[in-house]
Amino acid sequence: MAIFKDVPMVKEIFGDLWGKMIKDTEFGPKIKEGNISVLFIINDPNIVMYVDANGPIFDAEAEAKTALVTLKMDGDTVHKFWLRKVNVPKALALRQIRAKGPVGTILQLLPLLKPGQEIYPEYCKKYNLPMDV
Amino acid sequence: MSYFDLKTDLSAEDIALKDQVHKFARDVMRPVAKQFDGMKADEVVAPDSPLWPFLKKVYELGYHKALMPEYYGGLGLNPLQISLVFEELGWGSFGMSVGMTVLCFPFYCACLANQEHLIESYVKPFCECTDASIRGCWAITEPDHGSDYVATAEDYFRSPKMRGNTQIRLDGNEWVIDGQKSQWVSGGTIATHALLHAQIDPSLGFGGNGVFVIPLDSPGVTKGPALRKIGQRDLNQGEIFFDGVRVPKDSIIVEPDYYVPMMDIILAAANLCMANWAIGLARASFEEAFNYCKERVQGGRPLIEHHSIKQRLFTMFSRVETCRVVGRAAANLNFNISPPFVEYSLWAKTQNTQMAYENAHDAIQILGGYGLTEEYLTEKLFRDARATLIEDGNNEMLAAHGGHILAETYPRPPIDF
Ligand SMILES: Cc1cc2nc3c(=O)[nH]c(=O)nc-3n(C[C@H](O)[C@H](O)[C@H](O)COP(=O)(O)OP(=O)(O)OC[C@H]3O[C@@H](n4cnc5c(N)ncnc54)[C@H](O)[C@@H]3O)c2cc1C
Repeated sequence: MAIFKDVPMVKEIFGDLWGKMIKDTEFGPKIKEGNISVLFIINDPNIVMYVDANGPIFDAEAEAKTALVTLKMDGDTVHKFWLRKVNVPKALALRQIRAKGPVGTILQLLPLLKPGQEIYPEYCKKYNLPMDV
Repeated sequence: MSYFDLKTDLSAEDIALKDQVHKFARDVMRPVAKQFDGMKADEVVAPDSPLWPFLKKVYELGYHKALMPEYYGGLGLNPLQISLVFEELGWGSFGMSVGMTVLCFPFYCACLANQEHLIESYVKPFCECTDASIRGCWAITEPDHGSDYVATAEDYFRSPKMRGNTQIRLDGNEWVIDGQKSQWVSGGTIATHALLHAQIDPSLGFGGNGVFVIPLDSPGVTKGPALRKIGQRDLNQGEIFFDGVRVPKDSIIVEPDYYVPMMDIILAAANLCMANWAIGLARASFEEAFNYCKERVQGGRPLIEHHSIKQRLFTMFSRVETCRVVGRAAANLNFNISPPFVEYSLWAKTQNTQMAYENAHDAIQILGGYGLTEEYLTEKLFRDARATLIEDGNNEMLAAHGGHILAETYPRPPIDF
């Protein structure tokens, strides 16, 4: 069974998480400065999310955007990523994560996401998501 | 000599970058490369060699970090800019381009691994380095295993009979390395750090390999003599020996369970570099021939006015243009998707080095006897080009590997995101 129960749950968690990262952490100025935009195509549950310095948007609105980097993975991998339980090079090598966009930007995106990984366990507690994955 | 760019919408930044690197290739690389070409291999790396001021200049200009992401202090070039820069470097000297780029290999792969301790202790210091004191190399091939390393799809790759010359085992909190790497390791005798491939579990053959980022100043590391060879004499190469060398447990960046797909990712990046330097090499040969044909008079008129010479020059020109299209297209694809479609890097490397070699060969033929002498660049270009057909994988083995990938994946579906 997929870790995220449904689409509204994913939207709620990541809408808030990205919003917080942009507003309250050093990620905000960095995504703006680097002019970085990311499109997440997630399956199980199926959802498309676009993030830039203005925050996250979803569904058709997100699909209409052109992002610098696109990342495709399943919902369980998303969850494990934010818990720092994904070995990203391994996941890329094994095609569990697929990415489109300049490799250099992808390499620099990973450390930028650290503030989100620090606060993600709070969401796991709130939404009762497993942390021992 | 400059060239007409088929891509007519290069930005001002792209053009400035290309011009800056061309100037460096013409005024700095070529004279030093010629000097090194005539020196003994050990003289090239001697303390009073012009290598050191040259490297210092490379670091001051930041060319050692051309592939590194901007976030860590790298140049943050996009795929097209990498191609533009590498063409110019390859034009300056193929061997020196390899030497300048392999400097970043351990650090580039450490970025990929995305582990904080590696970023802090290796990646950032490398990007900040301006005195050329931090120098990487790619220590993969071994005396008993050259092509074997790129033969990931062959049935023997995972056979226990594939016993590597470099063994590594975990002892408490440290890895212990024993064995050696081949005399082909580019920058091997001068490197301070290595991207090391070593066998962890011989029962899995090379499927039991791992990749490590290690410093080379640890006790037990020794280096062989600098290698003298037919071409790319301006590229230092030599063995690295390991005798009970201990490195921290967290030096590993690729474990055996994903060594094979990761090997392909590393090979794809390395082959893209080769393909793009080869554009410059093909162009250098064409220009040598073209310029000579305008000056050399036979039959009472410059060679260029002879019909068959025009045809031969056109063939050389065509190869340059084809190389550029191929090199840029492959870079645009594989520096923009992760994981890469490896066959396109193999395609670009094998085709471009072959075309560069043919241009170097034809340039000598067009110059006639003079082409064989040290008075002209053509003989060096030819010797350098010859080595590219073996470097980073024999072209035949790379083609065989490409065929394996095609058998599994062709036709690839469109990228659906
Ligand atoms: C200029 C230069 C720079 C280099 N830089 C580096 C470096 O930075 N780091 C590093 O580690 N190495 C480096 N190398 C080594 C290089 O990768 C190897 O030379 C190359 O992979 C070929 O290996 P080999 O020379 O051992 O030839 P071998 O593998 O012994 O091949 C000999 C011949 O056998 C053929 N052959 C091999 N296997 C098969 C098979 N299964 N079926 C049919 N035919 C086969 C090959 O095509 C070739 O013709 C460099 C080499 C050169 C020339």
